Amino acid sequence: MSGVISLTRMPTSGPRRLLVLGFGLLGIMSVVRLITGYDDLTSSGTIGAALRLTVPILLAGLAGLWAERVGILNIGIEGMMILGTWFGAFGAWKFGPWIGLLLAVLGGMLGGAIHAVATIRFNIDQVISGVVMNLLSLYGMRYLSELAFDGVPQGGISQSPPQRGAIPRIDVPFLSGGWSTPDILGWFEERGWFLIGDLAGITRGLTTNLSLASLLAVLLVPASAWVLWRTTFGLRLRSSGESPESAESLGVDVIRIRYLGLLISGGFAGLGGGFLAIVSSSYYRQGQTAGRGFIGLATMIFGNWRPSGVLGGAAVFGYSEGLKLVAGGSVTGLFLFIAIAAGLVVIASVVARRSRRGVTALITTGVAMLAYLTVDEVPESLTQSLPYVVTLVVLATASQRLRPPARAGVPYRPGGSH
Amino acid sequence: MIKSKRLIAGALTAALALTAAACGGDDAGGDLTLGVAFDTGGRGDGTFNDAAGRGADQAESDLDYTVQELEATTADDRGPNLEALAGAENKLIVAVGFAFGDALGPIAEANPDTYFGWIDGYYDGPNIITTAFAEHEGSFLVGAAAALKSQSGHIGFIGGQEIDLIKKFEAGYIAGAKAVNPDIVVESQYLGAAGDNAAWGSPDKAKEIALSWYNAGADVVYTAAGGSGRGMIEAAVEAGDGKWAIGVDSDEYQFDTPEQQAHRLTSMLKRVDVAVYEMAKNVKEGTAAGGFYPFNLANDGVGYATSGGHVDDIVDQLEDFKKQIVAGDIVVPTAP
Repeated sequence: MSGVISLTRMPTSGPRRLLVLGFGLLGIMSVVRLITGYDDLTSSGTIGAALRLTVPILLAGLAGLWAERVGILNIGIEGMMILGTWFGAFGAWKFGPWIGLLLAVLGGMLGGAIHAVATIRFNIDQVISGVVMNLLSLYGMRYLSELAFDGVPQGGISQSPPQRGAIPRIDVPFLSGGWSTPDILGWFEERGWFLIGDLAGITRGLTTNLSLASLLAVLLVPASAWVLWRTTFGLRLRSSGESPESAESLGVDVIRIRYLGLLISGGFAGLGGGFLAIVSSSYYRQGQTAGRGFIGLATMIFGNWRPSGVLGGAAVFGYSEGLKLVAGGSVTGLFLFIAIAAGLVVIASVVARRSRRGVTALITTGVAMLAYLTVDEVPESLTQSLPYVVTLVVLATASQRLRPPARAGVPYRPGGSH
Repeated sequence: MIKSKRLIAGALTAALALTAAACGGDDAGGDLTLGVAFDTGGRGDGTFNDAAGRGADQAESDLDYTVQELEATTADDRGPNLEALAGAENKLIVAVGFAFGDALGPIAEANPDTYFGWIDGYYDGPNIITTAFAEHEGSFLVGAAAALKSQSGHIGFIGGQEIDLIKKFEAGYIAGAKAVNPDIVVESQYLGAAGDNAAWGSPDKAKEIALSWYNAGADVVYTAAGGSGRGMIEAAVEAGDGKWAIGVDSDEYQFDTPEQQAHRLTSMLKRVDVAVYEMAKNVKEGTAAGGFYPFNLANDGVGYATSGGHVDDIVDQLEDFKKQIVAGDIVVPTAP
């Protein structure tokens, strides 16, 4: 029963090791920037865009995490995000952006409730219910648009009128020039010194023109981790995903907790949709979610069903997307980054005499180097498939180490074990 | 289990009944019927589809057409929508958008008594009326306007899908800008690969791109990406004074909020409304014939908008360019 024991504390990978790894990667990135001259690799502009692109994926990933931790697959995140975009835009248009975000969460929770009733009460296959959720949202919101937005100036069957006002954005004082203090980080970023310039650029990107909604979304990562791993409620919720029979035998109301888990999951997805409609742009537009619900699921797998892992995965996708949008030409610099990083792994493997890992890393180095030297522009279709390719690679190489909740996706009937 | 089967059966019956009702409801009275199959985005996109919608509205009011509209929700709806409009015995069916490619030809051949108008596509057939818009010519003029207005000598272009059609916009825009200022820096970025329909509905990404260019000193951006274009005007407003956005297909000034209008330099007009209206008129008068109809600067099928008066000071230069293009003195490239 090691599974039950591991439930009681969240495994940590050692903060010091993580810090060293982080600075190591940043150092490589800095070297790449100095070699290639692609200043945008770590510029505040790129990082700011990356953050705004990360948030919806992050929230979708957390939505998947909450659902699977309670034991239910949620393929319907995309649909719940669509509900979030619609209700968010409607609220922002009628009442202002904060009410909009609230309505987005409620809209997503509505989707979560439908998915919960279908899968928990009626035991409909969880994948099918999720797919239905996606279709239902797409066409349902279209129908509601016809009722609410058609004929309104700037509105129509596939889009809402723009919202009133926006969520406030802040420049952090003393770091990025908020409250008319000096823009210290901006000064360092302009110098472009090794490591310091990159660190300044990244920090400035995260603290300049920062939407309070982005801040809220990022804070939900530690909040999720705390609730799931440090509270009784979280323990019960996870036990429903690992071994519902055991949970029930210990007096946990599994059905109730599964409903709650899916409502929270839907709320996260809805907030992600609301962010797209209210912060990333200022209105609802059909197709706006553009598959982010599925990318969110990919980051959940990528992140090994942990909030910090989801944040990491979402940041990778958000960063590559942001770099592509803001400085398309710089993307090839990432090949050099991979080549150098994998090259260091080769050296480490030789020292540690781990031949298999060394060979894999060597091949990676070669391919990445070749790509860096030959490719001028990464084709659009390739960058779009990046999240899925990365997920496949992770599944193929790290599947031994991934640990999904044991009973995610398996229907549960109370008393079923008797 | 039995319970859920009964539920499903009930749902299926309801769905069938709805479908039957939808099919039965189209027997409208008059002889002149016009079916419009919009592409994804549809009415309210503020640009391309709305232009076609205006043409249909005009045909309804001036030519006594009864108009039936269907809009593709996803890429899979285009063929079925055309089939449905053909089945409803419309006199003329207009397919709005290049993406009707594979669906339109066979359906048109199977319905020889119906005229099929196709915006932005070409298929040979006696009952297929196709349009060739010279988007590159219109884009040349707004490119020239951008270069004339730019203080920094740094402008940008955002495209939707990276396809030949949108590259025409880009090529014309760059050529127009370089005709004014050979040293001008023109940024260029696409939102998606061919077939990626999200490219027409990603205002958030268009906004990030435009914002990064404005912040890097660019002062005019032109977007040809359907509904994504609204992200650009939001970025222009956010970036502040002296930052301009150029709209596409429709006169987007008409759809802007007052604070956005202050940043809307002009729009490249693609008179899809005129094309739809002309098709309807010819079908009514019995003069319609299949083939290929050009819409260019010479017949005002493309042009630029003057709403808001932001280009009033350079209109003479723009008209001069227009004359040279019409006369053939300037040949605008169609690929960048």
